[in-house]
Formats: sequence, structure tokens, C-alpha cells
Amino acid sequence: MTIVYKLKNVVKERLIDGVGFRLVVPDIRISAKENIALIGHSGCGKSTLLDILALISKPDELDQMSLHPVDGDSHDIAKLWESDKQSKLSQIRKQHIGYVLQSGGLLPYLTVRENIELPRKLLNLPDDDSISSLSKVLGIDRQLDKLPGLLSAGERQRASFARALSHRPSILIADEPTAALDPITAQKIMAVVMEVIKGLNITLITASHDWAGVYKMELRTLKQESEVMNEGKVYQSRFSD
Amino acid sequence: MAQISSIIRLSFRDYSHEWRMSGCFILALASVLAPMMILFGLKFGIVSAMLEQLIENPINREIKPIGSGRYDDAWIDRFRNRADVEFIIPKTRALAATIQLKSDNAKRILSAELLATAKGDPLLAGTASFPKDYHQVILSQSAAKKLKVKRTEEIDASLARQFQGKRERVHLPIRVINIADATVTSRNVAFVSLDLLIASEQFKDGRAVTDLSWGGDSPAATERIYPSFRLYARSIYDVEKLVNELEKEGVKVKANVAEIATVQSIDKNLSVIFWIIACVGAIGFSFSLGASLWANVDRKRKELSVLRLVGFKSGRIVMFPVFQSIYTAVLGWLLAVLVYLGFEYLINFFLAPRLNLDRALCFLLTEHFLWALGMTFVVAITAAILGGARAAGIEPSEGLREI
Repeated sequence: MTIVYKLKNVVKERLIDGVGFRLVVPDIRISAKENIALIGHSGCGKSTLLDILALISKPDELDQMSLHPVDGDSHDIAKLWESDKQSKLSQIRKQHIGYVLQSGGLLPYLTVRENIELPRKLLNLPDDDSISSLSKVLGIDRQLDKLPGLLSAGERQRASFARALSHRPSILIADEPTAALDPITAQKIMAVVMEVIKGLNITLITASHDWAGVYKMELRTLKQESEVMNEGKVYQSRFSD
Repeated sequence: MAQISSIIRLSFRDYSHEWRMSGCFILALASVLAPMMILFGLKFGIVSAMLEQLIENPINREIKPIGSGRYDDAWIDRFRNRADVEFIIPKTRALAATIQLKSDNAKRILSAELLATAKGDPLLAGTASFPKDYHQVILSQSAAKKLKVKRTEEIDASLARQFQGKRERVHLPIRVINIADATVTSRNVAFVSLDLLIASEQFKDGRAVTDLSWGGDSPAATERIYPSFRLYARSIYDVEKLVNELEKEGVKVKANVAEIATVQSIDKNLSVIFWIIACVGAIGFSFSLGASLWANVDRKRKELSVLRLVGFKSGRIVMFPVFQSIYTAVLGWLLAVLVYLGFEYLINFFLAPRLNLDRALCFLLTEHFLWALGMTFVVAITAAILGGARAAGIEPSEGLREI
């Protein structure tokens, strides 16, 4: 099976409320079309790891990190971070990664359609009916000309998925995308999204604390272990296969 | 380029979407800029105009010889050619420099003082034409009123003398080519050509004036010597030097040195006070505008992070608040100009007549408006670049969690 992500000895440290937080990823490999869930309690570093995978957060230590999109060239991300090639990282992110935030993260001054079209416009992709069909599948085709402020939380999240998928990325990263929704709506949305990404051959990496939902969707999970070090001064979180 | 045009479009969409907040920024900018413009307007209106009047007033620049001297044409020309002398013209003896004037409109005969004038005479600044021959005169307002004459009317000028035991009087028709402002002098003065002034003296001395067919003894063959002169320095700052040089040449003179010192001191002190106020205002304006734009960038951190997430480069992200600052700068400046123009109208229309001033109390030149726009741009863009660079430098992951 083709590997899309390789990570080895990735460390990210932060100081949260006076206590050191240390995220450690010894070795993770993610294959193409594989759907991964990071499971763990709040504050264990799920979002931090997703940000590293989405190339928007620079690890403090990094032995190996590479990205191998199914429809593009491989990239040595570790090297790019080391030489601070922000522009190149931005280009890779724009082309191969779609990101869904817990709150949606839609720009409030653009209509739903304009929000969804934004990644495509930045890649100079031609206008086609993919936006319409994607919106229809996600059930927001009637909301396209509205501002995000006029949408329900579920509709906003569907629009956010549509924006993340509009440019057909290789990887979809979703940070607790249904945490703010009621369980029924959350289930409905994730069912539709799973259908869409299956059809588009996209790798899903999501963070969740909804064990039941994850098992229902049959996602591969990355284990998380926590330990308190240095007399309670450092909280370490470790993700591994 | 595509990213820049997208940033321009997005920044404007956000700016108009948040029109209430944008309106507050525009109002905040205008409320700081407009009073500064009014202050500048008053400085360039009333203060500068009054100071200019004091500085430029020919009375303050006049250097008067005391008593009678002997000045030939070469001496007069030497001073006329100096860069620090604006105007010099000879004077004849005071007794010979009077003339009787009579008009058809008034019964009385008016005895007026004759003063030679010529182009460039600062006493008659703004006058288009000067007497060119024996038959033209500019009357002081007092003389014109008493003679009840207006410009272009003709009056009769006459001179009398005692010659060879007989009393003689000659008449000369002269045209009033202009009437001097009341501010020039309150005396009855006839400003005439130097030729007429000399002719008057010659006639009174019993000599003939062939140009006017006035009889008498033959004119003296020697070079003409004048007993006095009317001299104006180029500016009040030249007066002291000229006084010293004239006194070195043995010419006793008097000038308004004390008044000049006062005017110079007022000019210097007012300028210092104004620039202190202007600098404090400009610094306050810069900090106020800078702080509000900086705060706006901080507020936008979340949305800027989303833009980075979808693929905008950091350098382009900085442009987002910069363009929004440009919108605020231009619209705030426009509003400030409108507020200023409103106040300028109110001040000039209602206040100026009460103070009996015939000039605008408050005004700005086009370049002053452009200076204000330039200054606003510099402050706005600097604040936005600093704030934007800070926002772009922060890891987007930090800003994203706030959305």
C-alpha cells in the first residue's frame, strides 16, 4: 500500500498554563486512502499533531517527515522546515491538504459559495460543476448564496467540509469536526463525508474523542499515552501505532 | 499577482462586511485629523496672514533720512541696485513738494503733499499702473474724498511762486489714474512721477520748465542733487544692516527698529508655539491611528490564520491589513477634509466679518491637503505592516483555535 505520510521522532513542546506540554510521535506511517482517527482526551495534543500534519505548525524536533501525495511529487517536509521554505510549504498545503476546523472557520464576509471556491481560485483551477455537485451531496446546495452567519451549525460544518474538499486534496484533516453538533447531525454529516472521500480517494485524518463514532466509521486509530514527568512540570503525550 | 488581487478583494469584502467597525475606524481617524487640519488652517490663515502683514508692511521696512542731505542720481542708483533694497526714490525739499488741487465736484482747493512714485513702490503695492508723465496722479484716499473724485477723472493742479516781485501761478490738467488704499496714508498726498516733482521744485525755485512751457530762469547746468529720499528694505530682516551701512556713510536715518524686533520676536515665538502644538498633535495622531490599526490587525488574527491555512503566503497576508489601513486612511482623510471645509466655511463666513477682517481667517492650500493624506498614509501603512508582520509571523495554528 502506498504511504502518504511518514513521521519519525517528531517533538513539539509548548508551555500551557505554566506546565510544559510535550508531544512525541516516535514513528507513524499513514497509507493512501487510509482513514485515521486520533483518539484521546482534551489537551492530549490531537490538534497539535493535526497542525503538524497540515504543515501549519513547525515541530521543535524532527528526524523524518515526508509527504507522498498519490497524485503528485513527494516532498521532504523535514528539509523544508529546516530551511524555512514557508512559501513551498504553503504551496504544498494549498495543493494537497484540506483542513476542517471544529468551528468551521468559514470567512464570515464571503458567501458559502465564495468560501468553497476559495481554494480552487488560489490554485487557478477552472470553474466547473464540481462545487454544485459537492454542495448537493453535502446538502448545502440551497445555502450557497448565503453568508455563513445565516447558516445552522450543521450547515456551516458541511460548508467547511465542502471548502476543504473543493480542490480535491490528497489528504483531508479534520479537527473534531462534529464536536459542536448534536450526535444525530454529527453522524449524518460524517456518513456523507465518508462517502465523498471514498469516491475521491482521499485520506482522512481526524481527531475525535467520540470512541463510538470512530469505531462505527471503522477508522484506524492512533494510540495515545500520557505521562507526567519532571515532578509534574512536564506533561508528555505520545502517539504511536 | 492572483494572490494580491484576491487579497485586495477579500480585504475590501471584509472591510465592507464589518462596516460598523470600519466606520468607527474612519470616524476615529477623522476626529484626530480634522482638528489638526483646522489648526493648520488657522495658522496659515489668520496667524500667517497677520504676521505677513506685519513683516511685509512697508512702514516697518521704511528707512527715513533725518534732516537734509545731498544725494545725487549715482548715489540713488547704487542703493537701488542693492539686493536688500526693494525701492528707493528721491525726494525734493518739503516746501517745494506741495501742490494745489481742484476738481469740478468740490468747491475747495486742496493743498496736497507731492510724493514721487514709480513701479515697485511698496506703499502702492497692488497698483497696476503708475504715473508715467506730468499729467497722471494717484491720490491718497483722503485727498480723493475731499476732492470728490474717482479714478479716470481729470482735476486741475496748480503751483504758485513769487518770481521777480510778482506772484505767478501755473495750472496743469492731471488725470487720476488710481486712488490709494486708506491704509497707505491718512494724509492728503498726490503720488506723481519724479519728473513732475522735480518740475514743481524747479518752478518754485524760479526756474523754467520747458516741457510744460513754464517760464523762468534757465535750469541749472550742474547735476541734480536731492535733499532726501524714500527707501524701503527688501524685508524687515534687512533693515538693521541697511541702517548701519547708511550711518557708516554719514547718513543719519531712523527706522522702526524696536517694532521690527517685536515683530521678529512674535514671528519666531508664534512659529515655535505652532510647531510645538503641531508636533504634539502629529505624534498623538500617529499613536492614535497606529494603535487602532494595530488593534484591528490583532482582532483579525483569526481570519488571517484561515487565509494562511487555505494557502495564502505570509507575505500576502501582511497585505490584508495594509489594504484595510489604506481604505481607512483614504476614507478617514476624506471625512476629515469634509469636516475641515465645513469649519473653514463657518469660521470665514461668520467669524471673519465680526473681526472686521477682509481676508480668510482659516484656509489651506491643496498641497496641505495632500501633505495630510501623505502623513496619514505613512502612519497607517507603517502601523498595518508592523501589525500584519506580527500576525503573519504567528503560527496559524495559534490563531485558528480562536475561530
